[in-house]
Amino acid sequence: MNIFIHELKSYGRTTFIWTASLTAFIIMFMLVYPAFSNDVENTRKLFEGFPEGVRKALGLMLDSFFTLLGFYSYIFMYVTLCGAIQAMHMGTSILSKEVRDKTADFLMTKPVSRKKIMTSKLLAVLCSLAITNIICILIAGVMLEVIKNTGYDVKAFLMISATLFFIQLIFAALGVLVSMMVPAIKSVLSVSLGTVFGFFILNMFDSVIDKEAIRYLTPFKFFDFSYIIKNGSYETPFLIVGVVFVIAAVAASYIIYGKRSIHAV
Amino acid sequence: MNIIEIKYLTKYYGKSRGIIDVSFNVEEGEIFGFIGPNGAGKSTTIRALLSLIYPTSGSAAIFGKDCIKYGPEIKKEIGYLPSEVFYYDRMKVIDLLNYSASFYKKDCSKRIRELAEIMDLDVKKRIDDLSFGNKKKVGIVQGLLHEPKLIILDEPTSGLDPLMQQKFFDLLLEENKKGATILLSSHILSEVQRLCSRVAIIKEGRIIKLEKISTLKEDNYKKFKLEMKAPLDNDFFNIKGVVEFKSEGDFASFLYKGNINAVLKRITELEIANIWIEELDLEEIFLHYYEKEG
Repeated sequence: MNIFIHELKSYGRTTFIWTASLTAFIIMFMLVYPAFSNDVENTRKLFEGFPEGVRKALGLMLDSFFTLLGFYSYIFMYVTLCGAIQAMHMGTSILSKEVRDKTADFLMTKPVSRKKIMTSKLLAVLCSLAITNIICILIAGVMLEVIKNTGYDVKAFLMISATLFFIQLIFAALGVLVSMMVPAIKSVLSVSLGTVFGFFILNMFDSVIDKEAIRYLTPFKFFDFSYIIKNGSYETPFLIVGVVFVIAAVAASYIIYGKRSIHAV
Repeated sequence: MNIIEIKYLTKYYGKSRGIIDVSFNVEEGEIFGFIGPNGAGKSTTIRALLSLIYPTSGSAAIFGKDCIKYGPEIKKEIGYLPSEVFYYDRMKVIDLLNYSASFYKKDCSKRIRELAEIMDLDVKKRIDDLSFGNKKKVGIVQGLLHEPKLIILDEPTSGLDPLMQQKFFDLLLEENKKGATILLSSHILSEVQRLCSRVAIIKEGRIIKLEKISTLKEDNYKKFKLEMKAPLDNDFFNIKGVVEFKSEGDFASFLYKGNINAVLKRITELEIANIWIEELDLEEIFLHYYEKEG
């Protein structure tokens, strides 16, 4: 419990900044929505002027873009991008920072097993991400209520918003695994940014070539927002891939951490 | 009763040597010195005791329990002070100490206050505002605040001024009197000589000597230096027990171990102007060990 609280506190600032940025992003773009929806014809013309490849890469779907949830899912794609960076950064740093800051000696000579250290730290990541998600969903919900001109499907809204948490879990697990496989990470930020953007670019690329198989490769494609809006459900195969990956990554990290040598500074 | 039992402990880092077949015991209530030059394997041994690293072969037990298997349990009663201390920079000293205390299931606040006062430590400062010496003091308080039964110190005095060293040693002796066993690793011989009753000398990963400090000093070489009226024949002191014979003009010096009468008889055959016979201090004894064994 003490490690959990210590970690939660030490990431408090970071979590606050990320949460504030994400909600600011949501608020800003949702405020722009009325401008688009009041002038559908002109905007549609503008977007139609873009080559189709560019539109697909940007995730612009003209059929749904002007509906409230369509617009929300469009900007939410970028929220998940930022959220993925937050999660990956935290996942990568939470264990590796002890080695980088040379505090591993302090922590690991305490009467606490490595399993417990890992569990406490993972729970701290989980908790920080949950806080970010809850606040984002609340703010997004309020924004939607404020700017809506017609009704919208609340269940679909919640399901779209919850994908942030799923994607964050996947990237956090990936981050933890990376920090276990690469012994000394000098710059956590560049590793996380690189990885997340890599997957995001793959996601854009995939939209262009439109092959089903590639969807399994990038977590950003696990959740198709228009599918969620249409069917009111997630796509089971991708959900399973995500869950299996998170469990496998965390299990592998436990094993590696248990066997790892903590070298002298 | 043995507090620490190390049996044939071996650790390789890949192919490079850490320690090889290290075996020794530390008895309850003693202050045990662990001496060797840098890179000899002192820290490796200590880190294996604390299950920070896993040995390649052999075993180590503390309080009769295997270090790896019962790591978290035995660490309840261990206080550890590394040679270089690093803590969470953004924390205040008192927060760090409380965090440290929170790992032990007892109230340490009184002991923290006492120790901070003895070591003259300002607990309200932030860690990253502290000098190296002051960080070291945090380390000392942090290592002792739960009144451990075994104190493991890895080159503990670097960065402490002589006054603080003295206070720290007094503190250790006091803990020892209360029943704590101490394992002190060092390359500074004077501090080992001052505190320890027994020592293990490690060199290139192997224990080369395990001895009481008193025996080390007794059963050893004496240093002879002679000034003579005439230069000496180089073979003159070619008798058993004489080593490192040096002759320079009218002066000659050598180390001697054995029956003192034998060498004195030989000396009386000479016309000498002056003579010095000295005990080797520990420093020279160890230097001697390192050179001889190497």
